[in-house]
Amino acid sequence: MATIEISGVKKVYPGNVTAIHNLDLSIGDGELVVLVGPSGCGKSTLLRMIAGLETITDGTVSIGGAIVNKKEPAERDIAMVFQNYALYPHMSVRGNLEYGLKNRGTPRPEIDARVTEAARILEIEPFLERKPRQLSGGQRQRVAMGRAIVRQPKAFLFDEPLSNLDAKLRGQMRIEIKRIQRSLKTTSVYVTHDQLEAMTLADRLVVMNAGRIEQVGKPVELYDNPASLFVAGFIGSPPMNIFNVETLRSLPGVTLPASLPQKADVVGVRPDAILLEKPEGESFALKGTVELIEPVGGESHVYLRAENIDDIVILVVQGRAPFSEGESITLHLPARALHPFDNSTGLRVA
Amino acid sequence: MVENRPILAFLTHLVLVLGIILVAFPVYIAVIAMTHTQQTLGFTTPLLPGNQLIPNLIDVLTRPSPGRPPFWLMLWNSTLMAVIIMVGKIVISIISAYAIVYFKFPFRLLAFWTIFITLMLPVEVRIIPTFEVVASLGMLNSYAGLTIPLIASATATFLFRQFFMTVPDELMEAARVDGAGPIKFFIDILLPLSRTNIAALCVILFIYGWVQYLWPVLVTTREEYFTLMMGVQQMAATAETDPMWNLIMTATVLALLPPVLIVIFMQRLFVKGLIETEK
Repeated sequence: MATIEISGVKKVYPGNVTAIHNLDLSIGDGELVVLVGPSGCGKSTLLRMIAGLETITDGTVSIGGAIVNKKEPAERDIAMVFQNYALYPHMSVRGNLEYGLKNRGTPRPEIDARVTEAARILEIEPFLERKPRQLSGGQRQRVAMGRAIVRQPKAFLFDEPLSNLDAKLRGQMRIEIKRIQRSLKTTSVYVTHDQLEAMTLADRLVVMNAGRIEQVGKPVELYDNPASLFVAGFIGSPPMNIFNVETLRSLPGVTLPASLPQKADVVGVRPDAILLEKPEGESFALKGTVELIEPVGGESHVYLRAENIDDIVILVVQGRAPFSEGESITLHLPARALHPFDNSTGLRVA
Repeated sequence: MVENRPILAFLTHLVLVLGIILVAFPVYIAVIAMTHTQQTLGFTTPLLPGNQLIPNLIDVLTRPSPGRPPFWLMLWNSTLMAVIIMVGKIVISIISAYAIVYFKFPFRLLAFWTIFITLMLPVEVRIIPTFEVVASLGMLNSYAGLTIPLIASATATFLFRQFFMTVPDELMEAARVDGAGPIKFFIDILLPLSRTNIAALCVILFIYGWVQYLWPVLVTTREEYFTLMMGVQQMAATAETDPMWNLIMTATVLALLPPVLIVIFMQRLFVKGLIETEK
């Protein structure tokens, strides 16, 4: 159990490629922080620097109050779960769980107790004597988790642990990870590129882009108040609709709310904030033709070509869409649902 | 490939059978020659077995003749030489491959290519300088002289390097997180994973060592270090009498047995290893 402090951390690869620019982040005790971002944004590099698998060019990483920059991964008292599980293929499940403890010289009775406990938590008791290749993907994932749990480390580091699983299993394991992390209260850092995984797992979400932190906050905060166009586009599925303010103003019959800041030259609207009926309070309307309807069960995603606007507008309709493809409909965009951004800086304007 | 064409089937089988006959016929002749007397073999090449197998075997195994050391001593020398070469080459190769793949050091690539180049220079090419070195080190007529120069090429480094590069990096990282240092990772993880490769190399390198002829002839003059390959050759090269073909062939067939047994025995391990291995 420990806090993780990252201050002024930089990573420069040979050839002067900077992967992480001067990054600060502090992770509280028992917190599950998710690092999310597109591939190449530096999220894995950051995790590997915390783990000690990557050297730190500048700045410090401390775990539990002690600076660990020069420490070997094993001395940092962290456990890592890898994307491809990285189970030792020639060892049984029990061997895999025990290996780290044996290397630390843990006494035999304690090893046995911890392995039994981890196997119980993860429901892998029946497979303890099997080899990893005799297990399914989900079971291997559990063993990889077990290897982290038995160590009772200061922190868990997850490097896209669910990417190799199919969609259904991914959903199950996501809940499982959250449940285990909650009950063990171990500080955790979780890297993923899947924004749904990030939203659902995180106590706190860190959105990264090009080696920098774009925004840190609770998942819902980030969804409701994205600090930049990047975060607005990355968090939420289907993605936020972005409109050019000039274009909107030029449309006949569109009056943008007066509350819109002067500096805002683009505005974003969440697909689920667009309404089919005129709401109370300030709003404006757009007309368009329905191009495609994707029924996903409880809701439908509607792709609409709006008049005089180049981009496709996406909206989410609860239940079945009350219209069909090719039909012309009117959309209502409430003023309070508009997210104003400055296109030149990419930042939100108040 | 599931066509049923009788003529094609016949032709392919004919080629296969001819190939087998071509390769196996000399071996057959040798086995038949084991069972005849010297008199019969002096005039004809019999194609059917005779009744002298037991006397010939007893003769070769128990009665040393002049210029020929005892069979058991030569068998021991050959085995020892082949095993030392096999073990030595594997140990050197696997360690150097480990260094090249898992450690970053200056001139890493140069080191690899230097090792690789030793593959292109077999003992026969560098035999005179090698002999000079061995002679000045006083290693003539010793097991060290017989084996060390033949070990000194990391034949299998390339093979192990290729294999290590297919082992996911995460395995090494997981081991580091689990507190395994470089030596522990090598012994606990990498060696068990290399089992199949090591088994395959054992076969190849044992046979390589077993069939060495030129080098042992050069560095040994004392009979106590003679190998089987040399002994068989010496039996054929007697000046005063006719060669005892029955005994020569008996010794030849006996010398052939260990490599054959090794291949048969290790083949099972191969297949087992191939089925079980997963990275």
